[in-house]
Amino acid sequence: MVEKGAGKGLAAAERYYQDYGCRAGELKRQGKRIMGYLCAFTPVEIIAAAGFMPLRIKGDVNEPITKADAEMETIVCPLVRSCFDVSLKGKYEFLDGIVIPHACDSITRTYDIWKYTLNFPYSHLINMPHATDKPSLDFYKAELNTFRRSLGRFAGREISDQSLTQAIRLHNQNRAKVRELYELRKMNPPLISGAEVTRLLVAAVSIPVTEATELINNVVEEVKQRGKVRAAKPARLMVVGGQVDNIDFIELIEDSGAWVVADDLCPGAREFFSDVADTPDPVDGIAERYLRKICCSRTFRERRGSYHEYLEQRFGHIGRSIRDFKVDGVVLYIYKYCDPYGFDVPAMKSYIESKGIPVLYLEDEYSMSTIGRLRTRIQAFLELLGSK
Amino acid sequence: MKSQYFAGVDIGSTMTKVVIMNRAMLASVIGPTGPEHRKLANRVMEEALAQASLPFDDITYVVATGYGRINVPFADKQITEISCHARGVSYLLPRARTVIDIGGQDCKAIKLNDNGRVVEFVMNDKCAAGTGRFLEVAAEGLGIKLEDMGRLSLEAKSKVEIGSTCTVFAAQEVVAKLSEGVPLPEIIAGLHEAIAARIHSMVGRLKIEREVALTGGGAKNIGLVKALEAKLGFPVLLPPEPLLTGAIGAALLGKDIVKQAAASGTPLPRSERRLQEVTLFTR
Repeated sequence: MVEKGAGKGLAAAERYYQDYGCRAGELKRQGKRIMGYLCAFTPVEIIAAAGFMPLRIKGDVNEPITKADAEMETIVCPLVRSCFDVSLKGKYEFLDGIVIPHACDSITRTYDIWKYTLNFPYSHLINMPHATDKPSLDFYKAELNTFRRSLGRFAGREISDQSLTQAIRLHNQNRAKVRELYELRKMNPPLISGAEVTRLLVAAVSIPVTEATELINNVVEEVKQRGKVRAAKPARLMVVGGQVDNIDFIELIEDSGAWVVADDLCPGAREFFSDVADTPDPVDGIAERYLRKICCSRTFRERRGSYHEYLEQRFGHIGRSIRDFKVDGVVLYIYKYCDPYGFDVPAMKSYIESKGIPVLYLEDEYSMSTIGRLRTRIQAFLELLGSK
Repeated sequence: MKSQYFAGVDIGSTMTKVVIMNRAMLASVIGPTGPEHRKLANRVMEEALAQASLPFDDITYVVATGYGRINVPFADKQITEISCHARGVSYLLPRARTVIDIGGQDCKAIKLNDNGRVVEFVMNDKCAAGTGRFLEVAAEGLGIKLEDMGRLSLEAKSKVEIGSTCTVFAAQEVVAKLSEGVPLPEIIAGLHEAIAARIHSMVGRLKIEREVALTGGGAKNIGLVKALEAKLGFPVLLPPEPLLTGAIGAALLGKDIVKQAAASGTPLPRSERRLQEVTLFTR
């Protein structure tokens, strides 16, 4: 269990981050069953309700991809290839299974590779539609019920409504705690750095949800003690992108003389800013949240009204964060071969710029050697913001 | 009041440039960048000071820029080449709204507003195609001097198509064309066409605004300049010495900083005015 007091907040997060998955391995040895998953679109509530601990599979920018290429072509996004590469090298061999949602093509179309190469006792693909209309929602709900039954059979017991409702409550509490943490980023200077937030949230998706809530709470209490002693930096930035599960890029920005005060990332605001509603059939609330509330480029929202209104529908959450967190500039941080975010770059850029906020678009390859090369662009962007 | 002098040191991947300015440019030195940046920064700075007949202590402020900017121990401040090129061009060619800098190992495009401030930029430093390195490798393959390429290409009656975008393969392709008997000027014109297409498509992401200024080593190649102008559909502006734009911009930004600090009364931290012999490689 996570204890309270000194060393139980940021220091504990650092330990879980450095030795990612260590808590899951420890629990596994005590008899807990662990279910790996990819992407924020996996409904972790169902996994937790079945008695498993969900563990988000993470890549490693410091580990060169050496084994994955034999199984996965290089047109697959480098993040997914890195996740697969570290899995092949045994990082997650203690898992009882893996759940993969139909998030993007790089994830979906490699499901069979994950399933047959890693051969976990359980594998499941959740077929998730990309549109958000009523028929799509109905379809998705049916898919979630299929998953619920399938996982229940593997667990050896049906997943009851009661256990689902309980899991939903715990995850909503966890999300509320993250939002409380984000409040501390609104101050100037922020009470917590962007690198600390990302490190903490990565740690949080690698431990059981109740422990994660407590860990985040400890950090909130710890950083509140800091008061206003932190160095003022000239710019407050927001980072928008896919899954950023290493702190190196965020650190590079903050070492260059800016604070990262807001994000639309995973793990980050994208997955912690919306809750599952309390519905008579708990699956209804889950379906509604994952299909309609999470704002990710993989989900297509049908165009209604003018182009301006359409942009507001799709990217309004970014605009709200720019306003609430007093953001001076936005960094679009997109992995090469990330189709969903790559497609959205021009629209996102024009939306953010229409708010009078400069945008730096960076394409990266999810590797430490390429991250370093972005330094000059980031510094030039900060100079641009400084001379405005 | 004692006159003030500003130095700009631009350590590019291929060439190192230093200027000393007060109201006008007093000295400028250009030398090849070796593997040991710091040694070189010392040497070119020494040369520039001799040219300007100034002791180092008289230099009010030193700004370093370029790929090797962190390796200038005597610099008071490091500023990226994006900001420095923008400042240099807006001083030399005030009508420019877009800057295309073709360097030895990268290529960048910068969009400026009416005040000469950077609005947006794009950069390619991942791939040699579209940079000076592409022409260097090709010149080597053809057995000619890099600086002769521009002049030679103007003699071409037509140009060959270079299919490879990869620099290494393009060099091989060029040698094959030569052995097929294709005249040298047509091959070089083809190379210029290929690199211009590459640069033009990158710059296109900025929504090009006139006037366009061309800087860096690539701007010294008349064949490449003509090829780019053909793609753009209008003539470009060229500074008197395209290699110096970044260093001039660095010196001017130093001047701006000193002026601002004096106006607000804030003290400016400065590095020691000493040329140290430092080496990058520890033994």
